[in-house]
Amino acid sequence: MNLAVDRPWVLLALVLAMLPLMFSAHRETRVGSVSVVPADPLSTLIAWTLRGSAVAAIALVVAALAGPYRVGQIVSRAGEGAQVVILLDRSGSMNDTFAGRTPAGGEESKALATKRLLRDFVGRRPHDLFGVAAFSTSPMLVLPPTDHHDAVRAAIDASDRPGLDFTNMARGLGMALSMFAADHPDEHHAILLVSDGGAVIETHLQDQLRAEFRKFKADLFFLFLRTAGSRGMFDKPGPGEDTPRAMPERFLNLFFQTLGVPYRAFQAENPDQVADAIDQIDELERFPITYVERLPRRDLTGLAYALACVFTVVLVAGKLLEVRLVTGAGAAKAPVGATA
Amino acid sequence: MTESRDIVYRPRGRISGLRAGAHASRGIGTFGTFRDQVPFMAHPDARRIDVRGTLRDPFEATLVRRFQQRNAIDVYALVDMTRSLSYEGRARKQDLVAELCGALARSVIRSGDRFALIGFDSDIRPDCFIPPNRRLGSAVDVEALLRQAEWRGRDAKGLHDAARRLGGRRKIVFVVSDFLLPLDLLEAGCEALSQHDLIPVVIDDSSERSDLPDWGLLELTDLETLQRKVVFMRPALKRRWLAQEAERRAGIRRILLRFGRAPVLITDVIDVDLISRQLMEA
Repeated sequence: MNLAVDRPWVLLALVLAMLPLMFSAHRETRVGSVSVVPADPLSTLIAWTLRGSAVAAIALVVAALAGPYRVGQIVSRAGEGAQVVILLDRSGSMNDTFAGRTPAGGEESKALATKRLLRDFVGRRPHDLFGVAAFSTSPMLVLPPTDHHDAVRAAIDASDRPGLDFTNMARGLGMALSMFAADHPDEHHAILLVSDGGAVIETHLQDQLRAEFRKFKADLFFLFLRTAGSRGMFDKPGPGEDTPRAMPERFLNLFFQTLGVPYRAFQAENPDQVADAIDQIDELERFPITYVERLPRRDLTGLAYALACVFTVVLVAGKLLEVRLVTGAGAAKAPVGATA
Repeated sequence: MTESRDIVYRPRGRISGLRAGAHASRGIGTFGTFRDQVPFMAHPDARRIDVRGTLRDPFEATLVRRFQQRNAIDVYALVDMTRSLSYEGRARKQDLVAELCGALARSVIRSGDRFALIGFDSDIRPDCFIPPNRRLGSAVDVEALLRQAEWRGRDAKGLHDAARRLGGRRKIVFVVSDFLLPLDLLEAGCEALSQHDLIPVVIDDSSERSDLPDWGLLELTDLETLQRKVVFMRPALKRRWLAQEAERRAGIRRILLRFGRAPVLITDVIDVDLISRQLMEA
């Protein structure tokens, strides 16, 4: 714990914490000799407890007044699994059902089904690092890789807002790759691309992507949400149809196979198949990973006050237990040092 | 000073002295109680010729009656001036001491003896010293002096010095203290006083024993060492405390009995009759 304070000069008042060692909060009973009291370990313990509590209470209040905080720091953590970047297609067609219609009644849109299943997926893998990116006309960085799964789930929740028109998959992939660190060979990277349509990737971009994938060594999982009636990734092309424009999904699949990285494609036509695909990905990605996380500055004032309060309660209890040998006339006295 | 009754005291055995007084003495003289008859040549005092005895005597010797003289004795009060006597419980111990010494001085002087006061703490206190005298007014002085005196001593080591001052003839020595002192010091003091008639007076306060609470936190401060001590009172500890205190008192009592009399106990108030009774019983 790296501790620091906002107002160091207040700490000068810590000298006051020495006071309980010299003075007592209790009203004294002056006796001829304390040697008449039998030795009693419990009393000694209580005496030191009260004294220590008083010191601690004063010190903690002073510390709280000085405004303590734990400085922000960089922590290295270890996890098991992989660094997964979920790359979501946010184009307008994701808002339709698997049947290609606008959702009505009890049907759920592709985006909603994906969201539900991905949430489970994130919940099942506690040690993974998840990043979320989305793409439509241009890529969007939603969440850098983190193990705070609440944040990941929130990012996924946000992904079913109505999307935009176009599908610029190449830039999305570039964005997803850029979220990995290239200089950590021990990390295991995976990109889970969720999309419902093929997109044409230009030839010069294809070369760039190949280079990038080699550099970042990311596995690629392509979850293709096929809309009923549209062409699938694995359909045999008819005569004259074997062009990227006519069958973008097929050519996308072919291009991914040339990337030189582990690649699995899943074609899902309903929510159950999506779930199966996600289970398979779950099986595949189990590797040890280390990652670095920045912790923000944390204010400790409240904690200091709470602890001071605990010690003060101890002191108050001691005060409430206080009794005196003599009550009445003999009790009011001048200080001991008044004579001498 | 409204107290008119006297503290009755009596030296042990016979004293020897020059001044006529109230106490049985070893001296044989013309006044006092009848002791024996001796031939005239053994005690040539014509005023005390026993006419009947002389007539009855088969050897026709002249017999003289001899009498036991009664002499006066000096009474000293050695007063412990340590700070522990400034304890205030039911009463201030120092006030009790002042009252006691005043009453004692009055009684002593009224019965024809001389009274002296020596205050001591770690040394003899020159400001609390009144040499032996028979002025009736000195009882007032004794009390006033002790009421104004500062009880500031840190220990009672002066007991030994005070004892060494009392040379000469046997005296009655009242040692007035709370006897919260180390036993070896007490023993040394008693040794030094052993030629005199020692009467220890323990000034006591009921709040020190019977008023102890059953439960609670006590913060005690030692009047002499200023040492602080927190005590968590509970019935078991109270029992142990009282047992230890009883043991300490028994130890003091044993030492005092070896050197003379059982101590006179004064608790909370000066009760002249009670003191007299204890003195007679001791």
